[in-house]
Amino acid sequence: MNAPAQVKNHATKISVRSLDFYYGGTRALKTISLPLHTHKVTAFIGPSGCGKSTLLRVLNRMYDLYPGQRAEGEVLLDGENILDPAIDLNALRARVGMIFQKPTPFPMSIYENVAFGIRLYERLSRADMDARVEEALRGAAIWDEVKDKLQASGLGLSGGQQQRLCIARSVAVQPEVILFDEPCSALDPISTAKVEELIEELSSRYTIAIVTHNMQQAVRVSDYTAFMYLGELVEFGDTDDVFNRPREKRTQDYITGRFG
Amino acid sequence: MSLYATRRQRNSMATTLAWAAAIFGLAWLLLILISLLYEGVIGLSPDVFTQTTPPPGSKGGLLNAIVGSLIMTAIGVALGTPLGMLAGTYMAEYGRYSKLTTVVRFINDILLSAPSIVVGLFVYELLVGPMGHFSGISGAVALSLLVIPVVLRTTEDMLLLVPGSMREAAAALGAPRALVIGKVAYRAAKAGLVTGVLLAVARVSGETAPLLFTALNNQFWSTDLNAPMASLPAVIFQFALSPYKDWQQLAWTGALLITLAVLALSITARALSAGRRKSK
Amino acid sequence: MTTSEPTRRESNGTGDMSDMTMEDAAPRSAVVDRAKALSSIALLDRIFFHVTRAAAVIVLLILGGVIVSLFHGSMPAIKAFGFGFLFSEAWNPVTDKFGALPAIYGTLVTSIIAMLIAMPVGIGIATFLTELCPHALRRPIGIAIELLAGIPSIIYGIWGLFVFAPFVQTHVQPPLISLFGDVPVLSTLFAGPPYGIGLLTAGFILAIMVLPFIASISRDVFETVPPVLKEAAAGIGCTTWEMMRYVVLPYSRVGVIGGIMLGLGRALGETMAVTFVIGNAHKVSPSLLAPGTTISATIANEFTEAVGDLYTASLIELGLILFVITFIVLAIARYMLMRIEQKSA
Repeated sequence: MNAPAQVKNHATKISVRSLDFYYGGTRALKTISLPLHTHKVTAFIGPSGCGKSTLLRVLNRMYDLYPGQRAEGEVLLDGENILDPAIDLNALRARVGMIFQKPTPFPMSIYENVAFGIRLYERLSRADMDARVEEALRGAAIWDEVKDKLQASGLGLSGGQQQRLCIARSVAVQPEVILFDEPCSALDPISTAKVEELIEELSSRYTIAIVTHNMQQAVRVSDYTAFMYLGELVEFGDTDDVFNRPREKRTQDYITGRFG
Repeated sequence: MSLYATRRQRNSMATTLAWAAAIFGLAWLLLILISLLYEGVIGLSPDVFTQTTPPPGSKGGLLNAIVGSLIMTAIGVALGTPLGMLAGTYMAEYGRYSKLTTVVRFINDILLSAPSIVVGLFVYELLVGPMGHFSGISGAVALSLLVIPVVLRTTEDMLLLVPGSMREAAAALGAPRALVIGKVAYRAAKAGLVTGVLLAVARVSGETAPLLFTALNNQFWSTDLNAPMASLPAVIFQFALSPYKDWQQLAWTGALLITLAVLALSITARALSAGRRKSK
Repeated sequence: MTTSEPTRRESNGTGDMSDMTMEDAAPRSAVVDRAKALSSIALLDRIFFHVTRAAAVIVLLILGGVIVSLFHGSMPAIKAFGFGFLFSEAWNPVTDKFGALPAIYGTLVTSIIAMLIAMPVGIGIATFLTELCPHALRRPIGIAIELLAGIPSIIYGIWGLFVFAPFVQTHVQPPLISLFGDVPVLSTLFAGPPYGIGLLTAGFILAIMVLPFIASISRDVFETVPPVLKEAAAGIGCTTWEMMRYVVLPYSRVGVIGGIMLGLGRALGETMAVTFVIGNAHKVSPSLLAPGTTISATIANEFTEAVGDLYTASLIELGLILFVITFIVLAIARYMLMRIEQKSA
């Protein structure tokens, strides 16, 4: 495995150190170490079952919802170990947002979907709330499509719109990191392009991690790429380097389509 | 005769029997509904809804029984629904993998079809004995004990149908569990939860056995929860077994009213949950 | 940007975010506000957790309460009669002698009659609905049967009393009596005058009442059979009957038995459908045409009129016996239905 030392001179938002993860007795992640750089997009690629989604779900401790799953090692968010049992999960998740494979609009209006997250932590006047909702929807590049039907159900939108609504919902909470778990795998090519464009825009404000099984997507949106295989981190580096000058044979085999 | 012919013959015999069973079974059920409709409709008149139960040999209605049933059912549902819903919430949300959930689910499934007369005895021991007299409130408590298992079961089932991704998405925003449940899961399962309550109302509105020795019965108009209270099923029971024609007629009419109410409730519940399935 | 930023406020201040709009609208002290909001929400969260958990525990306590209170209420009778209560045919409020045998006997006999009729007919209806019924009728008939399962049992009782019992008295029992009058064994089963009411009538009404349960559960269970299995059977040329007999029934056996046990549980504990037509006679009679009683009918008929502690306690002990019997039957039923659910999952 490659030394996960900082590749370039970038600040580190999240630092994963010797992380092991277990589903019951099965070890799904094997001593992973890597940084996520501030305001950069890091892509995780690898064949299904390689642990890339698992790693993502450690970063906001989503695995805590389920019994029998545990992580060992350290994950430092701004120097604070988020695997510490004493950490407040809700506060953590407000700082580390997540977008899922399938769009997950709540069964409420478009407006309420976005306001939901804001209301958790802030009491705002009607006008302030309206402004925040609009900003979030603009930030997710969906405002123009929904501004006339904010009270309509979020479930009535198209798949691509729903996914951008979810991004708006996540952005509205003002996280510092956003995790994308194969955000485009359920979308058509046009919606995918929109979401990818959005991710690039968001990277100027947020630290982003994206799991994808689409290698072209990783090349298009990410600054850094981590290639994982069977629970191990095989290679981590500049996206450009990983795809054009891979150091590991397994990486080369995967990106040239020899397995996966 | 060839083997194939024997097989075909056996098959046609079996299918004929299945047809016969279906016709036989459905015919009886149809017959019951027809005679209920026939006998019950004759007695329908405004008096039924405006007069109280009469002494033998004179005209009257079922007003006190209808009102008593409504009161006790309403209180029973109001008492049982929160408990059933909260317990169902625990089982589907917090304790999905806990031992307590497995045990409660098993016990609840048994309570769901346990003899309702035993519930009546329990409430008699619990309330009527210590209070020293029959009362509307103990009738309502008995009904609430029948509401709990129905509501609990549907609440758990409906919450389990809410996709886990919805909960994860809410949790990913930093929402604590209580809000994930209250604002997202309940909302997603709303139609199903209402269905559960409707089914519970349907279940208890026809229950007789648990009322016989809790609320007893009352010939007169009474809305006092601390006194014996009339109910449609109890009046039907008493009047049907009486030798008086007027009373027997009122029993039929009361039976028709209950059946119509129960059918209306179950059909509404069904339509609600069907609409839900479609929107998914 | 060179240093790592410990708080979001600092990260807001960095240069490459000058074009941001949303952070400006946010309070600068977001982190502080969040911590405050969190502590109040965390409390609410804990309370809600404990309330729901308490509710689940209360459901358990209710069952425990039922058993304890029935035991407590029947103590006088248990002390007075001991196990003899189960086998005594006596039922005399005047001399204070009570026994459960006639009620237990009547409960079992009516339930057995009910199951003998409802089991084959119910499975027949389920077969009809899954295999034979024209597609357009499947849903309406299925729904109708489920609706009938929800009809209060007192309706079956009143129909039995006014319509069915008189019919049986004039058109069914006399021919039965004359037909089997000379046959050994059967002549005992069908002896006595035609009252109309009695064990046979009660059993038949119970059968009609549990029929919708058994039919709809069996249908649900049949539908858990994977279509591939049925297609495979059809693919090698099986007839409908052979497919049912060798594929569907073996696959769903456990579930069907569970459904039948559930129906049996209902039949054993049913009060209102039986009380009207059982006759309320405390004796063990070999004739199915004779009036008898069941546990629930005895309680329903006599409880409010029972004077004397021992009389009341004996009735409560009957309730306890009924509860224990149905509990066992229902527990077995649930266990079996659980197994078929796991199989199909």
